[in-house]
Amino acid sequence: MGQGDVPERKRRALATAFDPVFYRTVYDDIARVGADPFLHYVETGWREGRDPAPWFSVSAYLERYPEADGGDPFAHYLLRGWSEGCEPSPSRHRERFLERIGASRKPITIAPVSTPSEVEIPEPVASVHVDPDVHVEPDLLVDPDPQGEPAPDLPPGLTLEAARALIAADFDPAFYLSANPDVAAAGQDPLEHYLLAGRWEGRDPRPGFKAADYLEVNPDVAASGMDPFLHWLVAGRAERRPLRFELGFRGRIVAGLVPLQARMAAAARAAAGIAADRPRGLAPLSAASQAAGLHVTFSHDDFTKRIGGVQLCLQAESKGLVRRGIDHLHVFPAVPWPTLRPAGGRVPLGVVWNGRTLGHFAVGDILKALGKRRAGPRTTLAVHSLLGHEIGETLDILAAAGARRGLFWLHDFAGLCAGYHLMRDEARDCGAPPAGSAACRVCVFGPGRDLHLSAHRRLFEALDLTLVAPSQAALDTWSAAPDAPAATAVQVHPHARLVPSGRFAEAAEGPLTIAFLGMPSAYKGWPVFTDLAERFRDDPRYRFVRLGSAAAPGAPADHIEVSVTADNPHAMREALDSARVDVAILWSLCRETFSFAAYEAAAAGAAILTGPDSGNIAAFTRTGGHGLVLPDEASLFAQFESGAVQSLSRKVRRPEICEIEYSGMSVDLLEALS
Amino acid sequence: MKVLVYSSFTFSYLNRARVLYQTLRRFHPDWETVALITDEPPPGFVFDPASEPFDRVVWAKDLGIEAFRGWLFRHDVVEVCTAVKGPFLHQVCEAGEADIAIYLDPDTALFAPLDPLVEMLGASDILLTPHLIDPNDDRASILDNDLSASRTGIFNLGFVAIRTTGEGARFARWWNDRLLAFCYDDIPSGLFVDQKWCDHVPALFDRVKVVRDPGYNVASWNLSKRKVAITRDGEILVNGATLRFWHFTKLGPTGDVMTKRYAGDNFEVYEVWRWYKEAVAAATDPAIPERWWAHGQFDDGAPIAKPQRVLYRERTDLQAAFPDPFAGGYQAWWKAEGPGRNG
Repeated sequence: MGQGDVPERKRRALATAFDPVFYRTVYDDIARVGADPFLHYVETGWREGRDPAPWFSVSAYLERYPEADGGDPFAHYLLRGWSEGCEPSPSRHRERFLERIGASRKPITIAPVSTPSEVEIPEPVASVHVDPDVHVEPDLLVDPDPQGEPAPDLPPGLTLEAARALIAADFDPAFYLSANPDVAAAGQDPLEHYLLAGRWEGRDPRPGFKAADYLEVNPDVAASGMDPFLHWLVAGRAERRPLRFELGFRGRIVAGLVPLQARMAAAARAAAGIAADRPRGLAPLSAASQAAGLHVTFSHDDFTKRIGGVQLCLQAESKGLVRRGIDHLHVFPAVPWPTLRPAGGRVPLGVVWNGRTLGHFAVGDILKALGKRRAGPRTTLAVHSLLGHEIGETLDILAAAGARRGLFWLHDFAGLCAGYHLMRDEARDCGAPPAGSAACRVCVFGPGRDLHLSAHRRLFEALDLTLVAPSQAALDTWSAAPDAPAATAVQVHPHARLVPSGRFAEAAEGPLTIAFLGMPSAYKGWPVFTDLAERFRDDPRYRFVRLGSAAAPGAPADHIEVSVTADNPHAMREALDSARVDVAILWSLCRETFSFAAYEAAAAGAAILTGPDSGNIAAFTRTGGHGLVLPDEASLFAQFESGAVQSLSRKVRRPEICEIEYSGMSVDLLEALS
Repeated sequence: MKVLVYSSFTFSYLNRARVLYQTLRRFHPDWETVALITDEPPPGFVFDPASEPFDRVVWAKDLGIEAFRGWLFRHDVVEVCTAVKGPFLHQVCEAGEADIAIYLDPDTALFAPLDPLVEMLGASDILLTPHLIDPNDDRASILDNDLSASRTGIFNLGFVAIRTTGEGARFARWWNDRLLAFCYDDIPSGLFVDQKWCDHVPALFDRVKVVRDPGYNVASWNLSKRKVAITRDGEILVNGATLRFWHFTKLGPTGDVMTKRYAGDNFEVYEVWRWYKEAVAAATDPAIPERWWAHGQFDDGAPIAKPQRVLYRERTDLQAAFPDPFAGGYQAWWKAEGPGRNG
């Protein structure tokens, strides 16, 4: 579609894009005679080859696009050129202009700091009422000399000192240091760092202002090369320019997605750097054993080295096996993989033997070591995750170990899709639609879905597997998926249960304490929590905290350090109780198959607020009366706006504190297998 | 019912066209797909039609257009790629090669079968999709979308479907005639390539159906009034209707800004775009220069400026004197006696 040449539209376009401060700054004669810069440009300026803005050169545009000759080239660009792909060049006066207003990208020599009272600061432009339909000349708002008679040596725009003072007034040093730990670690003054380097490095000066977003939504500012924050302060704010496109956090997630093939290629490159250890390291697998049996497990990593839900399950499983005198072989990929590993290109696999990591070994060596092993009385298996595994290798290892019967744990939905959280494009629960659906074709995980489905079908067909779901909700999702592989049997076996302690939560005075638990990742609902905390951060009714092992830079919530480990599995529950947390926001965007966090929150007496897509969190909350399952994010915000959420306080609810009793995981089920 | 689908493009759009034809093959493997190309392969790029996702290639130079070189010179790349659509469609009708002919722009892609269009062509001979099927309410959207459509054409000619007989054939002949003579981007004269002409279609022809289903021809210019949703059944819906095809106009920063302006927080729109960008990237051959067009330059390699085309277009004496303006004669005249004499 093209653009026409309508006088009113042309006037509006020109008036909006024209930069009177620039025009008066670089064309001294205009300022000297006191001419209206806009009228001067429209009537004669463009014919004289004068430039209307720092990002637009009239002469360069005409040279490049001779078809624009015969009229104002700036109007040509604004009305149709941009949509046809024409690209403007900056004015040759741009650098001089930027230097004169103190916004140059060139190294800045900072003058002795002036106190705000010593410099002339424009009126606080945000207080000016601006009718959105009325064009406001930005120069009226920033001109330090309202008489329109600037002294010959003074630029009519901002001085460097004024720019500094203006930025200082709206700069948030605490936020800057929190978001830029390198600056804090170096002991640098945050404002000085921002002025000298940060603003040109894309660092943000305050919560709610992202330079990259401002430049994207205001392409004329980007083209001008100006510091975007300074532009917003001196002009954009008064013009009510948008700070960003309001895409919502899901839109931002989609914008940042990396194609699946690229992720897999990165993993393959990392794996190529792993050398296999000598096969003699596998000697314990072949040694004569008095064990009562062998149990082989597969997961995505070394459970002895990392912490998380699956790792906790495997740690419990491993300890239980040792107690029963059963050997435990655990196999994991040497490097993390985003998906199952396609056939071809063998890479070493990690091996843990009876809780001790032996190293990384070639698959052939693992097969040989198992081949030398004298067959034991019984061999079982448990698949916790096949991420990073190639299904052919997995089946070969199980065959060499003599394992055919065992458990397939439904910790996630990798058996249905490479997007094992069932989050289409990592943005929204998808519900595992048919593999050939339009939704799967557009999804970033679409290209990996066949790999996961076919590998798991092969696994279930080759073995005698009981599908073990940690919750009914997880099993329901699996059973409803049209492409789900068929298991020999299914069983629900929760990882833990709540045991009432007879002790009731102590009520706290002061604001309602709202907590986010664990990793600040999108699929755990961190963007929803941060949006909520930013919206109500100054509301005295609420206090926002985040409980986790590492601080999240720039987070709008106080950090309470908590590390859950095998030695201290109750750390989160204890921290929640000690911080008197009233409400835990467990707004997982994906279907949680169990959620230790939900059990920890409920055990500590915190009410749970969750959404409809959170799987077992929603089921646990609903069936146990542990809080509220809200229909959408708008309802969550409404709870806080109205104050209805106050009904979930410890003071009102007086909840009973519970202990968390963990199950024996696979060990509970092995007897049945044998 | 034999259906023929064609698209018109140059080699710089081959990547987008490949994506379109891949989606056509997925949903309609039995339809004949034709690539109408007004270009020559760039040096270093080996064009093997047999390995492309379309059935056959028709070169614009083989359409039998009278005094082709001079006619070609009168158009810029957008003008000529739209102008050849008419002659090809007319020739399909004349040859009786198909019962139904569909044109799709190379930057469109299918998300569901187009069978309902075939059904519509049982009761109608000509199908057109308007830019807008709902009026905008706010001033900015009216300026961007409604008024733009008023200037450039009510219907988007990234799509047209006809029966190759009856009113469909009559339309194809008329479009052929108009585009051979008047397919220019000259809005003040009432022209906008092949598109503006089609404002006349409902008045000039019977059996015309305006497709007002929001699942067809979704694009940045109508996103202000179309909401995209993706269901747990795996369907992509637009205002509740199945998404049939999307028009990915202006792939790049300009298109991104327009999409963001109107999609807002309708993140499903960005999901569709993300897929398209990934698919186009995968279909891109680095041997084809980004803005390649063999006819964008004189035979000696000097770029052709738009005023050089416009002057040639307007002066029949120049057309007579230089029947092949790509060769040196017209270029020399321009420099010595034409507007180029002043440097």
